[in-house]
Amino acid sequence: MSQRLAPESGGAVALPVTAGGRLRSLLPARARPRPGLSGIMAVLLGLLLVVPIGAFLLVAVMPRLFDQGNALFTLGAFGAALSGPSLHALGDTALVGAGSAVVAVACALPLALLIHRTNLIGRRAWTVGIWALLLAPSYLVALGWERLFEPGGVLVRAGVNAVFIRHLLYGPAGVIGVDGIKGVPFAYLAIAAALPGLGSSFEHAARVHGAGRLQALRTVVPIIAPAIWTSFAIVFAESISDFGVAATLAYDAHFPVSTFALFNAVDNEPISFPLAAAIGCTLVALAGLALLAQRRALRGRSYQVLSGRTRPYTRHRFGRAGQLVAGAGVGGFFLVALGVPVFGAISASLIKNLGTQLYGFQLTLDNYRRVLTGSDLYTPMLYSLRLALIVGTIVMLLSVPVARLLTRRASGPVAGMLDYLLLGAVALPSIVMAAGYILVYNLPVMHSLGLALYGTTTLLTIAYVAGALPNNSRILIGPLAQLHETLLTSARTHGATGATAWRRVGLPVLSRFIVWVWLYCFAGTLLELPISELLYPPSQFPLSVAIERRLSTYDFAGGTAMEVVAVVGALVVTGVVLALYRVLAPRGWRNVGAATS
Amino acid sequence: MSATSGSKQTLLVYSAQGYDKNTVTAFQKATGIPTKLVDDSTGPLLARIQAEKANPQWGLLWVDGNEAFAALDQQGMLKKHLQVPALTSFGNKLVPADKSFVPSGVTLACAMVYDSHAVKSPPTSWQQLVSSSWNGKIGMNNPAVSGPTYPCVAGLMNYLGGVSQGETFLQKLKSNGLHVSQTNGDTLHLLQTGQIQIALVQTTAAIGAAKTTPGLKVAYLPKETLLPSVMGIDAKAPAAEQAEAQKFIDFVLSGAGQHQMQTGDPTGDSLYWPIAPGTSPLPGLPSLSSLSTQTVDPYAWGARESTINTWFSGHIAQ
Repeated sequence: MSQRLAPESGGAVALPVTAGGRLRSLLPARARPRPGLSGIMAVLLGLLLVVPIGAFLLVAVMPRLFDQGNALFTLGAFGAALSGPSLHALGDTALVGAGSAVVAVACALPLALLIHRTNLIGRRAWTVGIWALLLAPSYLVALGWERLFEPGGVLVRAGVNAVFIRHLLYGPAGVIGVDGIKGVPFAYLAIAAALPGLGSSFEHAARVHGAGRLQALRTVVPIIAPAIWTSFAIVFAESISDFGVAATLAYDAHFPVSTFALFNAVDNEPISFPLAAAIGCTLVALAGLALLAQRRALRGRSYQVLSGRTRPYTRHRFGRAGQLVAGAGVGGFFLVALGVPVFGAISASLIKNLGTQLYGFQLTLDNYRRVLTGSDLYTPMLYSLRLALIVGTIVMLLSVPVARLLTRRASGPVAGMLDYLLLGAVALPSIVMAAGYILVYNLPVMHSLGLALYGTTTLLTIAYVAGALPNNSRILIGPLAQLHETLLTSARTHGATGATAWRRVGLPVLSRFIVWVWLYCFAGTLLELPISELLYPPSQFPLSVAIERRLSTYDFAGGTAMEVVAVVGALVVTGVVLALYRVLAPRGWRNVGAATS
Repeated sequence: MSATSGSKQTLLVYSAQGYDKNTVTAFQKATGIPTKLVDDSTGPLLARIQAEKANPQWGLLWVDGNEAFAALDQQGMLKKHLQVPALTSFGNKLVPADKSFVPSGVTLACAMVYDSHAVKSPPTSWQQLVSSSWNGKIGMNNPAVSGPTYPCVAGLMNYLGGVSQGETFLQKLKSNGLHVSQTNGDTLHLLQTGQIQIALVQTTAAIGAAKTTPGLKVAYLPKETLLPSVMGIDAKAPAAEQAEAQKFIDFVLSGAGQHQMQTGDPTGDSLYWPIAPGTSPLPGLPSLSSLSTQTVDPYAWGARESTINTWFSGHIAQ
């Protein structure tokens, strides 16, 4: 247990408090965000996000500008996007977004509380499980479910004809369920990041005043409302922009969603970038609704709880029965969330020809031998590994100032615009962003300016960064929102410069979350598919493209074996980084907000 | 990308062929011309070309289906009057009048591959496919997703007498439980897991699956549509790159190039019927003349591709 951030006894703080205009007036002027930061971030985000996304907006209404049609100005694409099959898909998408957000938060909140606030056995293993779920590509998760329940699938072979579950799976409930499960890590990370700021004092205060355990929980949970609402917003945006489930389970279930309609518009005949752009706009608008809901829920209240007076919290100690029930609950979740896709992947990679009716269940390691002895895996893996390291580091460095801008009240309209921009970017399918990059960075004027980046690893890297920055910045909002301004102010009052105050105070508080951001970004880049598909340089295949190639040539077993190796590789890197953090980071950094056992 | 490497222009090849990687490597070694490859499915490659329309990057496109090339030609995106290497008389018939694209081999658009354990007597006519005995047992790809499937649909419509007759037939097929997947891999997976008993896919996929999966057999329906693999050169590419692309075409149709095509993907795209003189098809391929085939006009059916694919996606694939 560390008392470094709790130098004196801290009394319970009445929360939520009124938004602090008075507090802000007491802060020294130099503690407020400098215009320079806003300016730099605005330019950076402009180049990364606004320009390519703006190009796409223009394609929707002015296709002639990019040689994608004859009309100088038209709203025809929006007419098509808001009628017929596209409108139907939009309705389905909204349903999936809302449903999966509810599923994800309903699972993530108890998971985070159990893992971070109790002495539940196997907490580290469950955390690894969360990371494994985060790393698993959504299409792999969906295919795992399909392999199990599809007609002629594993259960049918085993004599279990689960018609009812199959009927549920191949419909809205199945799509929402799988997207919701994939959304759990996003919600979990946002909520878990906020929990350390929630010292036990609040819970104790409620208990002292006669509240039972459940009543105390009801008192405490609203304190992490920013994280919960952020979770809703992130999962909603992630789900409506997800392509993996849309292209597999949703397609097979004849449940069309917008991302697949958008993909059809840019990837199939007839190709229509204006329609894709218009569909992209409707997705951004949906995400805007989520942001509005988040804003309305948090309006006029402050949730700053992490200050110099914050005390470490105490883990709730379960008895044997409690351990059994809680363990069964958490284990059951991971059995469903990870057991199914892992079973799908392992069976696909170990069984000859995926255990088809014609081959039966013949176990073999040939698929692994093939992919590990050929160059089809190594070369793309090293290429993606290099890019993932670079992108993870860049995003880690950029996401802190961006998140800082979002959480600083003094940022005002800049933060508001930034918030909308980032949430919109999360909702915008990556494939649209990639197509926007092609449009912009392949313009003749770019070649004239010497910015002919299209078809280069540089542009692929920039696109990865642009795709990852919004999500990662939003993940940091929770912990940053709880970093009380007085912590930095105190440091500066004692003579520290702004940079020193951040290094000595901000960095220790945020270091754990920054490491998470790096890991999440690293893993996401390693297996990223839509951007890679459109922007990979000639003759240089990213890992996901190499895997997709393998799968598209009917070598499901070999492709799945490559996936398994890649995911295992990412987990190894995750383990190494976390171990290094544990060894190298000062103990106090690791114990910020830590529990007493 | 047309970056220079030393004194030579880099040739950028966009290809959806299973044997493109080794062919590009062999071409580079034989000619010393720096060549880069973008390997993808036909749909994404055509999308990429559309996205790059304002400033095309590709030098040579090599995919299956002359309808797509006819459409590009009609948009003025292909270099005309290419030098056509020596071809068989059959191959020469596939070259358009303006010589804007050159075939490199021939496949069939939609052969039947079936599970012989479940199917003892496969259908022998298109009309039999809509009979109740095949209810829910047939699968095919969506032509809007799978490049080679559009020629299959176009050929079917051509065979049945026109677009409306073809649409009526496809509606009946759908009512009879047709399974529509995205690509050959998906459709073959349905076949291999017993969800369907007959898959209508390109011959390269059908024969390849039968070679690698015991129990699968291939059968042919009347008037199978010929599906050539085709090469075309970007009309806006620099002259030096266009010249290199022409050399690539010459190489592909040479003995060395045909060897690469036939060895690069032996259970997939290498299973084509050659049109280069002196090259025999791989073992396992039936004689093309023994099959009932048809050729559709790529310009007439290429112009209808967008409309038909949109209809198929909205009415059959949903």
